[in-house]
Amino acid sequence: MIELREVSKTVMSGSEPLTILHPLSLRIPQREFVAIVGPSGSGKSTLLGLIAGLDAPTSGSVLIDGVDITRLGEDALAKLRGEKIGFVFQFFHLIPSLTAYENVAVPMEIAGVDAVRSRAHQLLEEVGLTGRSHHYPSQLSGGEQQRVALARALANDPPIVLADEPTGNLDSANGRLILDLLRAIHQKRGTTIVLVTHDRELAALADGRLVLRDGRVVENTLHEDADKEAVRK
Amino acid sequence: MIFVLRMAVRETRASWKRLLFFFICIAVGVAAIVTLRSVIQSVRDVFGSEAKGLLAADVLIATNREWPPAARATIDRRLLEAGSTARTETIETPTMVRPTDRSKPVAKMVELRAVQPEYPLYGAVVLQGADRYSYALLRDHGALVRPELLTALGVEVGDEITIGQAPFAIRGVIVSEPGRRVGGFSLGPRVIIDYADLPSTGIISFGSRADRRLHAKVPDDRIDDLVRELRADFKDDFVNTRSYRSTEDQIGRDFERAENYLSLVGLIIVILGGIAVSSVTRVFILQKIRSIAVLKCVGARSAQIIAVYILQVMALGLAGSLLGVAMARGVIAAIALALGGSTSLLAQAHYGVTWSAAAQGVGIGVLVSLLFAVVPLLQVRFIKPSLLLRDESVRRRRDWLSAVTMAAVSAALVALTAWQAASLRVGVVVCAGFAGLAVVLHFAGRGLVALVAPLSASRSFPLRHAVLHLSRPGNQTRVILLAVGLGAFFIVGVRSLQASLLGEFSVQVDADAPDMFLLDVQKPQVEGVRAFLGDRSHGAGEFQLIPVMRARVTAVSGRETTLDSPEAVRQSGMSIGREFTITYRDRLESNERVVEGAFWLSPSTEPEVSVERDLAVRARLHVGDTIRFDILGRPLAARITSIRDVEWRESRNGGFVFVFRPGVLDQAPQTWVAPLKGPATPADRARFQHDLVVRFPNVSVIDFHEILETIRDVMSKVTLAITVVGGLVLFSGVLILVGAVAMTKFQRVYEAAVFKTLGANTRTIARMLLFEYGVLGSLAGAIGSLGAVALTWGVSKYALEIPWRVFPREHVAGILLTALLVASIGVLSSLDVLRNKPLATLRAE
Repeated sequence: MIELREVSKTVMSGSEPLTILHPLSLRIPQREFVAIVGPSGSGKSTLLGLIAGLDAPTSGSVLIDGVDITRLGEDALAKLRGEKIGFVFQFFHLIPSLTAYENVAVPMEIAGVDAVRSRAHQLLEEVGLTGRSHHYPSQLSGGEQQRVALARALANDPPIVLADEPTGNLDSANGRLILDLLRAIHQKRGTTIVLVTHDRELAALADGRLVLRDGRVVENTLHEDADKEAVRK
Repeated sequence: MIFVLRMAVRETRASWKRLLFFFICIAVGVAAIVTLRSVIQSVRDVFGSEAKGLLAADVLIATNREWPPAARATIDRRLLEAGSTARTETIETPTMVRPTDRSKPVAKMVELRAVQPEYPLYGAVVLQGADRYSYALLRDHGALVRPELLTALGVEVGDEITIGQAPFAIRGVIVSEPGRRVGGFSLGPRVIIDYADLPSTGIISFGSRADRRLHAKVPDDRIDDLVRELRADFKDDFVNTRSYRSTEDQIGRDFERAENYLSLVGLIIVILGGIAVSSVTRVFILQKIRSIAVLKCVGARSAQIIAVYILQVMALGLAGSLLGVAMARGVIAAIALALGGSTSLLAQAHYGVTWSAAAQGVGIGVLVSLLFAVVPLLQVRFIKPSLLLRDESVRRRRDWLSAVTMAAVSAALVALTAWQAASLRVGVVVCAGFAGLAVVLHFAGRGLVALVAPLSASRSFPLRHAVLHLSRPGNQTRVILLAVGLGAFFIVGVRSLQASLLGEFSVQVDADAPDMFLLDVQKPQVEGVRAFLGDRSHGAGEFQLIPVMRARVTAVSGRETTLDSPEAVRQSGMSIGREFTITYRDRLESNERVVEGAFWLSPSTEPEVSVERDLAVRARLHVGDTIRFDILGRPLAARITSIRDVEWRESRNGGFVFVFRPGVLDQAPQTWVAPLKGPATPADRARFQHDLVVRFPNVSVIDFHEILETIRDVMSKVTLAITVVGGLVLFSGVLILVGAVAMTKFQRVYEAAVFKTLGANTRTIARMLLFEYGVLGSLAGAIGSLGAVALTWGVSKYALEIPWRVFPREHVAGILLTALLVASIGVLSSLDVLRNKPLATLRAE
């Protein structure tokens, strides 16, 4: 369960304060597929970063499974991300000096889990990159890089996957492939997926939608009070 | 831990090529340390084991006067008591030698050693060719000589030479002999003759400068007692006793000191490499920001990431250090090979990398890499994963942890240097000096960069961008200026100092000043020598004849200082324990000025003495105090009636610390010296010396021109040694330069791609690079040159006390060569910046 209470974010733009996100509260139940939609600069990525603990809110609190992550230090946050959150970026952000396999293995090695090798290969197989595990990011196409990033996000089998415009840097065919993979993950593993996009068509595929404009929520169709299992029933 | 290990391996695999140069720099420093330490340790072993050979005795008893009458009896008794099994005596004295063949009008000063049949008790006299040394070669006026004497006199084995009044046949050529210090300064080449033949030469008369030595073989367990007893026996006499053990200790200490100080040179190169590691780590982290953010995003803690990079730095530091040890092995093997044919003691050493030197070198290499990488690596803590979502710059921050780490690293560096120099004081001084130098070079660099800043408004596109590049973010300007500047500083500084010193000596010799010096003129010869020098046909210019005696202070009774025995004088630490050359006269020289009391104008039977100011200050002597002297065995108490200031630089007619009032010493045994202006040409000077020595065989001639040659020779060796060190530093600087270019190349490749897209051709970009590195090289050269000016000023004024001179040629050459070197290396290592196709580069971004 992801819960945001009166969360806001203000940054300094030159010497002037600039509010990227006005105070907002919301709850995303477990196993939900949620889309956060809005034009550029509406605060979507900022919101996602706050949920992942990549950034600290100016006010309010963010709770992941009841734990207020705004009270956690950097190292505790890193541990929490390692265990509970997978992240997919628009620009892939693979480590260029590591092979596809190594990029996927890193989160497991950090968490100190067993059988890293077989699991990493299994994840690469899941995203359709069996033969590409020893290639470096620079030797992979954009679509392939994003699939490696997806496999990396799933490495520790996190209950939550956050995806920031995962198709924004891809052609439509590759974009479609990534989206299909995300939906399959959601359905097969019951992973909560929060997808940021400015494409309303993509957003329509989600269970619930949060529309942002200028840092404010203008539309909210999340099933905030329902557990996903209950909604399905 | 597995994550840290695996990531370290992967990161090293990906980036070792870019970091290579910095670690080669560490390797060069480590190689210098390991080579110097290993070689000195190997040589020390030989010298230690050959200490008896160096002394040619177990115990050596020496005096530079006639043996005191009672001394011989005491020595005989003590040696008997100690169970001495053999003894032999030698006399050493500088004297003039000339070919007996009168058609060769040359003469040369030599260091004569007269030996008895038992010589040497230890060690061996090694002769050229198949000849083996035996006393028979010396018997009946035979002589063994060093090869340089054959050349100087134009004689060969079988010819005759005349020493004093006696002819000697040259029967062999000396390669090496026991008791000759390696690299020691000498007045001339060695000549060995029979002790029994010495009186026939007539050169040893009262007051002559001669070292009388008694070599003894003594059972090992009696040596220390014997030395102690003899020292007690002769504490008030001028007899010196040494054992091979004290020589061994002294050699050990000398070598240890040499090893520690020389190794500092290696340490400085390692530290330079360390500074480069620090700088490159900073750039490396900047380049790795996104990867670090990703690692944090997938759960890595800052400490884990820092551990990854520390492990990587240590692995590369270890690799560099091991490479350094391998380089040292190569160099040492080459040294052993080069010495292969030599018969000197140095060639007897078993050369190889010693374990302790290798361990120290590797330890230092790894430690310095680690110490210099830690502080920049702490910046990893400030990298936020949120920068993956939006472009955020990571500002360099300082916090208490950085400050504490920085303090700890500084303390560790001081400790490391202190350990290497085996002295905390030296450690602190060297580190403070290095830090000071780095700060000065840093600000000089900034100042110079600011100075060329106006060029960024130049109309030339390549020049404008070249200047802008010097201050681009993540630039390596400072570290290149520091490293290359330091190398240039060493080389230009040492060259300027050499030029300055040689210039100074030349001035002293070239002016109308005396350039020859006669020694040991006996009293009955004074008028004859005066007539000889006054005879213009011999070619001598102005001259003076000065009476001199050798004296020691045996007691002082004064207002501030009271010393009642020769031993108290020796141990006072007031620099009055040595032997002084004294004179008497009734006038002041032009370079003297009375600062206290009054100088006499007439002779007196009351003993009075005038003391030079510096010594008076050191020994706290005042007008009215009484000094007791031992003048060649005769006691004399004299009252101080004046203190004189002596301008030593002008003391060409001989400067004296103690000048006596005439009247008391006039009749005492004395010899005379004569400073004079010798003939102008070398041939005339040789003939002059020859003719003088034929007439006055016991008189020695010191030719300043020859001394200047010797000094020039010694200095060129020292200069070569320091230039090699400077070259090593410069080489490290070049490595750092190449490394810095490799490190920042990604930026250039991208910029070049953008410029090419915007219409710049390869030539324009090549010119841009050429200008950039040319400017950088000129600045580094200018920094080195400015440093050299400061160095020569400081050393001239405070250490050498000679006028400060600037040698523009050295400086201009230094700046131009550095600029050329940096420009060519900069452009050559950026060739792929020129070659890369823009589209591929832009796509990769």
